[in-house]
Amino acid sequence: MFERETIGLLGVGVLFLLLMLRVPVGLAMIAVGVGGNYALSLAAPYLKFEPYLKQFKTLLWGTVANYELSVVPLFILMGFLASHARLSADLFQGLNALVGRFRGGVAMAAIGACAGFGAVCGSSLATASTMGKVALPELQRLQYAPRLATGTLAAGGTLGILIPPSVALVIYAIIVEASIIDMFQAAIIPGLIAVLLFVLVIALQVRLNPALAPQTGRQTAENRRAALLRLIPVLTIFGAIILGLGLGLFTPTPAAAVGATIILLYGLGLRVRNRDAGIGLIGMRSAFLDTAVTSGMIYFILFGAEVLKGFFARAGLPAAMAAWTGGSGIDPWVILLAVLAILILLGCFMDSLAMILVVIPFFWPALIDLNGGGFVNAETAAFGMTTDEMKIWFGIIALVVVELGLITPPVGLNVFIISALADNVRMREVFAGVMPFFAVELLRIALLLAVPSLCLFLPALLSG
Amino acid sequence: MGKIADRVAEAWALAGGVLLLGIMAVTSVNAGAFALDRVARLAGASVAGLPGYEDFVRLAIASAACMFLPLCQRRRGHVAVDLFADLLSPGLQRALDRAWLVATALLALFLCYWMVLGMLETRADNGLSRILGWQEWPFYLPGVLSLLLWAVIAALQAREAAPPDV
Repeated sequence: MFERETIGLLGVGVLFLLLMLRVPVGLAMIAVGVGGNYALSLAAPYLKFEPYLKQFKTLLWGTVANYELSVVPLFILMGFLASHARLSADLFQGLNALVGRFRGGVAMAAIGACAGFGAVCGSSLATASTMGKVALPELQRLQYAPRLATGTLAAGGTLGILIPPSVALVIYAIIVEASIIDMFQAAIIPGLIAVLLFVLVIALQVRLNPALAPQTGRQTAENRRAALLRLIPVLTIFGAIILGLGLGLFTPTPAAAVGATIILLYGLGLRVRNRDAGIGLIGMRSAFLDTAVTSGMIYFILFGAEVLKGFFARAGLPAAMAAWTGGSGIDPWVILLAVLAILILLGCFMDSLAMILVVIPFFWPALIDLNGGGFVNAETAAFGMTTDEMKIWFGIIALVVVELGLITPPVGLNVFIISALADNVRMREVFAGVMPFFAVELLRIALLLAVPSLCLFLPALLSG
Repeated sequence: MGKIADRVAEAWALAGGVLLLGIMAVTSVNAGAFALDRVARLAGASVAGLPGYEDFVRLAIASAACMFLPLCQRRRGHVAVDLFADLLSPGLQRALDRAWLVATALLALFLCYWMVLGMLETRADNGLSRILGWQEWPFYLPGVLSLLLWAVIAALQAREAAPPDV
């Protein structure tokens, strides 16, 4: 008869097998969770199956009836409304009016717009898709090298997952029971570092090879003024949401609900003034339906993760993993790097949210144990920080690594999206364009590993 | 049949969207009251927020989240890993796709069965929301209907995915 832990490990194997056979992620998690618990009841008779099944009376309801998680569909709706109200286009054109006249400036404006829109939308794939549609035609019209144009947008799209408010940060915070506000505050500096490094990468590339980005003429004063005027409401709305959340002035659900309401009213107001602008009834309907599809997908995975978590816990897998890593004598930093490497590998073919939900609950107890346990103080901890600090630091690094998966060959989902938008650009060229950004992402991960205060400084400062 | 399923799933998701609009409105009013209260306090007055607002959000979002599931299925929005399965023959891919659609329909029915039991138990236990004191069991109903609709849509998709001679 198998040991509990062996059944748990077999469950992990079956999960990956099902995923490779294109089983929807949520379904695979639930199948392994329920099937694994049945196997456990056969191996260990005290783990009865029938009482376990009865949990399903309230398990789905308990997962969805969660005030904190209400922020997820609200942020998603806010992103779709912003997209339909053409705030993404206004943001890009406004930034373009500011920096577009410099060599490479339009690509830099696209990075800024990706950061701003990604902040409101909270999803890397949606950011890449939206900003790709907005900025790619302009970059192509100005004859930017396809490699630079597509690489910039694929990499810029990854900014959405980290810059607050981010759906992935909310879900990570809920999994490890961290403060969502602390996570948002911690993400600000690493997010800004990414924007800065991406802009530097563009500047360096066009300096070394000016043919990548032709010098564009200065816009007419009238066009420039119009673009800058349209930028003001966008920056006000986006800035209020980001700063309000970052500074802890309001909690995530009110921020998302009020943000979505303001963007909706702004879009409707624009439509009243101009029939071709803003959000009409069709745009509203489309935004709500798109929100339903994305939110339905996330809730299904969340529920699947809940079922899977129950199986892992009953199999004693996280505890066994913690005991093994604790007793193995391997340097904690080596294990941390191995976990990050696994995240990068999985990121090549798995959805980022699914990855966070499958992998983090599995590794998190082991990392806590490696650090010295749940109540360790910073002086004696292996990573030199308390458990609460570790939640923040590891979460930010894990999300940056997950981001990296979105542009890692051979699969990088953002690369697929941009490649689909740029019909005449081959996938290989997009990957080539992404490589310089990939390199600075590795640099950013090394920085965050070496200097944890880049993540921990703001939460400590703002919480007083 | 497919078009009817599309329309029903979209209408049902839009009804969930109306709940989302309700959450936006209630939360905005509550946040506005909170901000006004901060200002009013300077003058020694106070403005009350909406009591039980979190209760409402919790109940409404539970219904809305379930109501989004059928449309997500209809539009094949549930994420799956395509990389490896793409290497299989088209016939095998179709067979796998159909098998997972049948499994999804069965899962939705399984969850529906247990949610009905959960609803009946909550009703028998007179389960109330903490602050508003509302009966919780009626909020299970959209969930039960959503899971049924989800099962029907997945079953229809499995039928559509069948080869023409089956």
